[in-house]
Amino acid sequence: MQSPRDLMRAVLAFGGVLRSAGLPVTTPEVMDAVRALEVVDLMDRHEVYLALRTVLVNRMEEQPAFDRCFEAFWTYRADEGQGLDGLITTAQPARADEEHAPDLVESAQEKQAQIALDDWDEGEASEDEPLEVPGLSDREVLMEQDFSTFPAEQLDEVARLTVLIAKRLARRVSRRRKPTRRGGVVDLRRSMRANLMKGEIIDLRRRARRRRKVRLVLLCDVSGSMDLYSRFLLQFLYALQNVFGRVETFTFATRLTRVSDLLRGPSYKRALKRLTEVRDWSGGTRIGDAIRDFNQEWGHLVDRRTIVLILSDGWDTGEPDVLAQEMLTLKRRAGRVLWLNPLLGNPSYEPLTRGMAAALPLVDHFAAAHNLSSLRELATHLILR
Amino acid sequence: MRAEIKKIQDMMETADYVTDPAIAMSVHLAMTLKKPLLIEGHAGVGKTEIAKVMAKMLGTSLIRLQCYEGLDAAQALYEWNYPKQLLHIKLEESTTHSTSEKEAAIFSPPFLIRRPLLQAISQPGAPPVLLIDEIDRADEEFEAFLLEVLSDFQVTIPEIGTIKATQPPYVILTSNRVRELSDALRRRCLYMWIDFPGFEKEVRIVTRKVPGVNERLAREISRFMETVRTIRLAKVPGVAETLDWAQALSSLHADHLDEELVAETLGCVVKDADDIKRLKRELASGGIGRFVAAQS
Repeated sequence: MQSPRDLMRAVLAFGGVLRSAGLPVTTPEVMDAVRALEVVDLMDRHEVYLALRTVLVNRMEEQPAFDRCFEAFWTYRADEGQGLDGLITTAQPARADEEHAPDLVESAQEKQAQIALDDWDEGEASEDEPLEVPGLSDREVLMEQDFSTFPAEQLDEVARLTVLIAKRLARRVSRRRKPTRRGGVVDLRRSMRANLMKGEIIDLRRRARRRRKVRLVLLCDVSGSMDLYSRFLLQFLYALQNVFGRVETFTFATRLTRVSDLLRGPSYKRALKRLTEVRDWSGGTRIGDAIRDFNQEWGHLVDRRTIVLILSDGWDTGEPDVLAQEMLTLKRRAGRVLWLNPLLGNPSYEPLTRGMAAALPLVDHFAAAHNLSSLRELATHLILR
Repeated sequence: MRAEIKKIQDMMETADYVTDPAIAMSVHLAMTLKKPLLIEGHAGVGKTEIAKVMAKMLGTSLIRLQCYEGLDAAQALYEWNYPKQLLHIKLEESTTHSTSEKEAAIFSPPFLIRRPLLQAISQPGAPPVLLIDEIDRADEEFEAFLLEVLSDFQVTIPEIGTIKATQPPYVILTSNRVRELSDALRRRCLYMWIDFPGFEKEVRIVTRKVPGVNERLAREISRFMETVRTIRLAKVPGVAETLDWAQALSSLHADHLDEELVAETLGCVVKDADDIKRLKRELASGGIGRFVAAQS
């Protein structure tokens, strides 16, 4: 018979396996899982599965990973013929699991490699410090230069400058948001107190209406030459991220990939550098399909308080009709849709590609984002009224 | 299967809620672990229904907080009855009560309007079921506020003092995923995703809820819905639509589906002009057979 301690240890180990597979399992949740197992039939595998799933899974997207982990972790011991209650008595379940569930561990390690970006290149952390850059005017030349024309060795400096500009902007925006004394909604509660002796309300007390932060959704084309611009845009927006409620990022070339989790946390700059590695070089860009996938899978991230930014040169190898239809769906949901096309920085450029022509009428703002000054300019459009 | 879970499943079936082990398990754990249960799923899959059935099962009351954009503590927790306060001040105008006496009078329980959250906490007797419906429609600030209430089930009203629940209510939260919920809230809750029902389950739901529908029609309806949900539509129809449609077909005394009948009643199934057009196109190209034929 298992003792409660062994049950606890097994569940703890299972929590570890889930964590390495990318599920954010916390200790209180593990404790709840133990309590949950006390009120179900431990001899019934499906019941154990359902109970653990209810407690340890937090969102639908985590379920496939949970299922894989559950299979790997709780199956192997059944194979040893111990029965289900025997499963839970193994002395070192976590290690045993690693030996017996190569598939799971492999995928877990893969996931870890994606997430554990903090471990590489620690030396760069100083980028977060407020840097003293001698007068931006000295860099006026850099401000106007197209990102693609910088030599490789200068890119780091430009990146640093991008962050610096973003931080200055962030300070300005947050100052602008302080509540005003006039306007806002009537605060009945305070008015009532203030007028207690007067018998009627003469002096209205007001409070500022709270403002929800604007959220951003970025859809970045990482095919071919777009990749470099995408990285600068991301760098810029992530340095601004405190101003926004949330920033969600997707990349696409032929496939749509959500990279928000990769970019979360202090290691986002390093993660940015890796974005190119998930890129698929095959074929052209199917923007319409990418936006359709986004609308289908991730439409719930977009509401009237969301600004959607699409960065692409508009070279769509898919059907323009699809692109137009999906842009319409997106526009209906979002507060604003911005399209950034670095080619617009070239004076002779005209948006004549079929994709661009289909998308343009459905865009609230069309801008370049090809150099530092255009990024700075972009910030003024990231506001909803 | 644990007897309690079986019992929940039976009770839910008795209350006309067609369930499955996963749903019964979640309800069982929510009741025994006394933790809030977050239910996500497409619109119309019966999320709200679970709270109603749970209250019925427990023989307790259901307190519902419908969330919307801009919902704040005054609407969710409590508010002072300002007109009544004003009237009271007016009536007391000529009396010699001091300011502090007047103040104490109008900021006392008779002037308090209890909103759903306070009601759920201060209800005497058996703990009620608190349904926080469509939490994804409320703002992020409200979510943070809710988190606070859910963690200790106590509310401090400056003028009155702290009110603490003797027995915390059973809490069910539902979300249609209009907005992504915070990790903090998710961690606090047990979680259940309700998918569209499988074919067999939907047949059971239809025959249970719409008695006028015969077995053949119920199967055809369910098969049709299963196929419709595989088409890319702006608004994928849920079980609520299935039941509306079954009800309509039943009142037309239909005993099987045919093209004409489907065309006439399509408005029960999809409720978006573009979707209707698309579905009609699909029906014209593949014929009704494709929609009601058994899939392997």
